[in-house]
Amino acid sequence: MRLMMLFIAVFLTAAGPADARGAENCTVCHRVTLAGKHGKLPCLSCHGKEVRPSPNPASFVDNAAGCTGCHRGYGGMAGHVMATLSGERGFVQRTYGRHDPAFFTNNCGECHVRSCLDCHGSDGHRIVRPDLNACLSCHKGYFTGAEYSGRAPREEHERYQRGVEIEGEPYLKMLPDVHFEKGLTCAACHDMASFLAGRKSAKKCTGCHQPSRKVLEHRIAAHLDKMECYACHSAWAPQEYGTFYLRFTDSTVQNLYRLRDNNGEYVKSVYLKKQDAPPLGVNGRGMVSPVRPEFIAYYSHLCNDRPEGVENRLLAAEWRAFFPHTVRRGAPMCDGCHDNRRRFLLEKPEERIYRLREDGMSLDSFWDRTGQRVVNGSFLDAGRYQEMAARKPAYTKGYVEKWKSLVNRVDSSSSR
Amino acid sequence: MTIIPNNAVRLFILLLLLSGCDRGRSTCESCHRGIEKTSESHASCISCHGGNDRTKDKDTSHRGMYGRKNPAAPETWEKSCGACHRYQLERVQSNLMHTNTGMIKNIQLTWEGNDPRLFATMQTKTFDAAGEPLQLAGVVGLNNLSGELYRKFCSQCHVGNETGDVFAASHAAGCAACHFPYNDRGTYEGNDRTMRGKRPAAASHALAPLPGNDVCFRCHNRSGRIALSYQGLYDGNNSLVPTSGGKPGPVMISGGRNVVQIAPDVHHVAGMECIDCHTSRDIMGDGYAYENMYLQTEIACEDCHGSAKSPPGYAVITRENEEPVRESKRYKMQMRPGMQMILTAKGRPYSNVFVADGNVLLLGKKSGRIFRSKVITGTPEHTIVGHRRLECHACHSRTVVQCYGCHTRYDKTLDGMDFIKKRETPGRFSETEDYRMLYPFPLALNQRGKISPVTPGCQTFVTVVEPDGTLSRNEYVARYKGKPQLRFAPFYSHNTGKKAVDCSECHGNPAFLGFGQHVVEGGTIRGTLICEKSADKPLDGFLTMREGKVKAFSAITRENSRPLNGNEVKRALALNECLICHEKAVDPIYRKRIDYRALDDALHRRLLDGSRSR
Repeated sequence: MRLMMLFIAVFLTAAGPADARGAENCTVCHRVTLAGKHGKLPCLSCHGKEVRPSPNPASFVDNAAGCTGCHRGYGGMAGHVMATLSGERGFVQRTYGRHDPAFFTNNCGECHVRSCLDCHGSDGHRIVRPDLNACLSCHKGYFTGAEYSGRAPREEHERYQRGVEIEGEPYLKMLPDVHFEKGLTCAACHDMASFLAGRKSAKKCTGCHQPSRKVLEHRIAAHLDKMECYACHSAWAPQEYGTFYLRFTDSTVQNLYRLRDNNGEYVKSVYLKKQDAPPLGVNGRGMVSPVRPEFIAYYSHLCNDRPEGVENRLLAAEWRAFFPHTVRRGAPMCDGCHDNRRRFLLEKPEERIYRLREDGMSLDSFWDRTGQRVVNGSFLDAGRYQEMAARKPAYTKGYVEKWKSLVNRVDSSSSR
Repeated sequence: MTIIPNNAVRLFILLLLLSGCDRGRSTCESCHRGIEKTSESHASCISCHGGNDRTKDKDTSHRGMYGRKNPAAPETWEKSCGACHRYQLERVQSNLMHTNTGMIKNIQLTWEGNDPRLFATMQTKTFDAAGEPLQLAGVVGLNNLSGELYRKFCSQCHVGNETGDVFAASHAAGCAACHFPYNDRGTYEGNDRTMRGKRPAAASHALAPLPGNDVCFRCHNRSGRIALSYQGLYDGNNSLVPTSGGKPGPVMISGGRNVVQIAPDVHHVAGMECIDCHTSRDIMGDGYAYENMYLQTEIACEDCHGSAKSPPGYAVITRENEEPVRESKRYKMQMRPGMQMILTAKGRPYSNVFVADGNVLLLGKKSGRIFRSKVITGTPEHTIVGHRRLECHACHSRTVVQCYGCHTRYDKTLDGMDFIKKRETPGRFSETEDYRMLYPFPLALNQRGKISPVTPGCQTFVTVVEPDGTLSRNEYVARYKGKPQLRFAPFYSHNTGKKAVDCSECHGNPAFLGFGQHVVEGGTIRGTLICEKSADKPLDGFLTMREGKVKAFSAITRENSRPLNGNEVKRALALNECLICHEKAVDPIYRKRIDYRALDDALHRRLLDGSRSR
């Protein structure tokens, strides 16, 4: 055997790189058929040296050395947030991780990008461009992605586990993003260059669209100057109010929790899920943007059927400015923002429906900013809200015009 | 000499025995020592229970009892409660809580099980609302999916049937369902040692002449869930959190559901109980068999608070045997001849609401507290001309519980308990759900032609699994009024707020008109939460608007009910053009019909154009 290897090595060296494929001996044993763009490449152009070929050349462990030989600069992907999960890691470190150092490893590791192949087709011999499913395998549930095709996570109780599934998780049917309806996939806006540059997307809305001055809302300077397009044009967004991780150690009470995925050390539940138009705040670049809880996190550790330490401990009440991928041509009417305190987390006590404190949840209301913060921005200053809610003459005029434009279209003879 | 006193003693004892009121000497209590006195007027064991209270032998004394433990059950209530309380028994026998005629009828209507006959839990001879003789067929003979659904799902809450093993929802059969309340575990916790800890049984042997909210809660915690909403409880998404001592919480009720705290009804906050508003005729019936609960219910908000035009009406008690005098016997304060009693919507006197010193006062039947009712007649908020068709609860509901998408599976490969036949038969029901919410809530016209909150009633998608495992129906939408459509029902959620929904909040949000959560695109209102059966119809609504065309795709159950039409939608939305300046209800423009063209007049044009230059 050793003799044979030596023979192969000598033969290979003699043949030289001019006809690498013909000269490779890999296929003598490895009956592999290559397909796709890389179909004509010799094995070693990805797998490295024949004396010690890399078994997993796309792995980030070696900075994807097998790929970056040609795709220079893409080694940076190993440091991208999809690989490091630095945001999620940081959140867990300051919350659940303080009570259970293994929390991140046990509950969050699943969506960690470890290799180019995680996105580019799971078979390295048939490398492809990522399709929608490649993105959705991680960007599911609460993590931006599923909503693009019109799917919102359902409540966690068994009673709500029905309907269409993605990756084994059932969803509510929602209005999809208009770009999805037109056939655009994730890659239409997100590309490798943008990832490498540390940007979330390659294109901004205004890269393709110019706000038409024919639209009343677009003629209002403050709208264009101070708001992200998607503050109005996001039709809806998944929102989790009160994310609970229940940790069970030697507890038979776990069987009482008739929730989805109740089979490990941790069981997740959520006090309330919503999927209407999300609240608004201010993002990192000072623009009004949708915000949502990420996360209002609670923790109960149940040991021998009893709570260990404080039960329902509030670990964080954090919100994030975000871009729901539910873009529609339409928008809410003026009242949806200008006369909606709840949407800016300025709910008055007398408007409160859910009484969290009475159930021991250490917050007055999810829609009251007291005790909560936006980690990548801020809540809209209460004074600014007062100003935009004030019925100034210009607002009144625009308001009447807006409602007129809708009312005039309503066919009063139509009914059934 | 010695014989005579002995005979006299024996005679005396015999007389005492015959009188039947010598409670202390009944042999029942030699075993059931310490048992609670039912009440002062219910002193003899055997007058309610039958049996023999003169023998010490257990079997002999129990022989001839009216039922094993509960003489108030329908099988024996004629001999027990009914022997004295004929008037009450006959009312209860035709009462909807006993017949469940409304429930069965509505299931039939919405599950395609329609049948010209009217059904009841058992075959019943009674009188209809017009006083004509009426025969109600026994639901045992309703041999279709509707009958199965009622018998296997809904009949647990039938007053005539005991439910013994459901946490927080068990109750006795018959009169005892309300007057001998069960606790959460349906366990006797009184002083009779032979019975203590036994279940299912009433918590105590003491009669509850005036049932508390907990009694109503035993049944009214599902479907409309009014007993929950009234007390500020919500079984919402059933998330089982926050946990409580390690167990699902914060508070558990029947069916493995948890309830969280929400804003309670204003009447509950004030300290009023269910029976403080609801008359005995509401609850126990008035002797006539109605086809729906809203026909049996005789009370309305306007009775105490007045309507826009008329203050509350009253009648003076003139005779000593009038109902308010008799019914208030056990209240903390008794009604007397000469008092001005407030009348229900059906024109009958309340037994606890009266006029005194120009005020409408309500007496808490159990608490004895006096509540003053605010009369709204003539106030600007309540005399808006365009609001003449609004029910009070259209504006004054804090929340309206709405369960969207009820996916019911009837599996013939499994057996299910038939609570009417009292045995398992082939076919078991199970349910999954799409989404639950509280606010906002849609409005539509109800059976009175008034605008009322509506809630899904029901959005049922039926799947039937045949014995061989094949599906004969798969997510099927039943035909209603001639076409397959889902249904909403007019509904008063019992979550009343003192403060009404803001004018602009309701007019400015088309979700209140039945469009569901949405975005507005030109002349199109596009729902964002979509029914799985359709490409674009909202799950949480019943109207669509495409390029200005308003279309209803779900029905509102009940006669004369319907969603708002295009003209009504247009007017409701057009009001926003006024509301932006004319914010207050007291504004004179709301004292007459709105002139929607006023914006085109010179004054308004000047005002609006002027605003540009300002």
